[in-house]
Amino acid sequence: MRTARYADRWPGNYRAGMWMWLLHRISGVVLVLYGITHVIVISSARTWGPGTFDRVLERLGSPLFLALDVLLVWAVLFHAFNGIRCLLLDLGIGVRRHHKPLFWAMMAIAVALLVVNVVVWAPYILGKPLAE
Amino acid sequence: MTEQATLYVFRYDPDADGTPHFDRFTVPWQKGMTVLDGLYHVLDHQDGSLSFRASCREGVCGSCAMYISGAYRLACQTLLENLPGREATVNPLPHLPVLKDLVVDMEPFFRQYQRIMPYLKPSEPPPDKELLQSPKQRHVLNIHIDCILCAACHSACPLTWADKDFVGPMALNKAYRFAADSRDAARKERMRLIDPSVWKCHTVFNCTEACPKSIPITTAIESLRHMALVQRLKFWQR
Repeated sequence: MRTARYADRWPGNYRAGMWMWLLHRISGVVLVLYGITHVIVISSARTWGPGTFDRVLERLGSPLFLALDVLLVWAVLFHAFNGIRCLLLDLGIGVRRHHKPLFWAMMAIAVALLVVNVVVWAPYILGKPLAE
Repeated sequence: MTEQATLYVFRYDPDADGTPHFDRFTVPWQKGMTVLDGLYHVLDHQDGSLSFRASCREGVCGSCAMYISGAYRLACQTLLENLPGREATVNPLPHLPVLKDLVVDMEPFFRQYQRIMPYLKPSEPPPDKELLQSPKQRHVLNIHIDCILCAACHSACPLTWADKDFVGPMALNKAYRFAADSRDAARKERMRLIDPSVWKCHTVFNCTEACPKSIPITTAIESLRHMALVQRLKFWQR
């Protein structure tokens, strides 16, 4: 006896709900790891001295890390709005007929906020110094 | 020359070499032909050793659920002309053990079905006449009563893949169908039977997407959660 081929595990065959479920978990892990990193960075002034803290902050202000910040914001926005979607579904809102419009609405809000974020951050990513 | 359709069929024979592989079959095609018709053509004219389950050919028996070209479908309800290039990749239902070719072992599926007490339990003592339902009471059960036990949802749910203790979408939809029935008097017991499982759903909607009868299974699960919550909050009735 052998188990069937798991053709349905191939990402090309996933439906939207499957992606939402997977990305929710991935973004959740990303946010937990970020939280830990954030605590380490902020406490570096106490742990390794103010010189280290300044050097770390300078490095974090570079365009590369600002671009990574945009990804981080997307993880927050996605996790938040998908979470709201799941809460609404659990409250019985939109679950019978409107789960597709609900999905698109939540993702539209998240993408809109991401775009605002990118517009605000773009000059700094392109090289404008953070503080004069 | 007649037009043709192509079937890529999953083959596995435990008595022969035991290696799973795909066989390619070309069958003559005419408008309105389903994947099941194609499989029957292969069985009758090309390879008599092909095994698959089918019975009614019209989507009410639930025997021929398969994973066809990237979706859980009934072979008898899938028109070849709707598949790109008239090509069908036919897999047995994933995440159930394969017995031979397209035939899977449904035992894990029906074991979950038995767990949720799949029958009406009227109040004690049972009434001596039949229990009447108003059209409104019957309307609540609409769609949810259409389940044909094809196991497409069970096979599609990422929770049943990982958690063998999870009763699965079919059993939860059935549990809802009985718990919401006005003739049933065992809601408390039903809530106990589905207790951990009903909270495990992640609203992935895979079951709802997979269901060939378009049953909103996720809705049934959310309604069950509502019932279970109300049950729990009524502490004076415990």
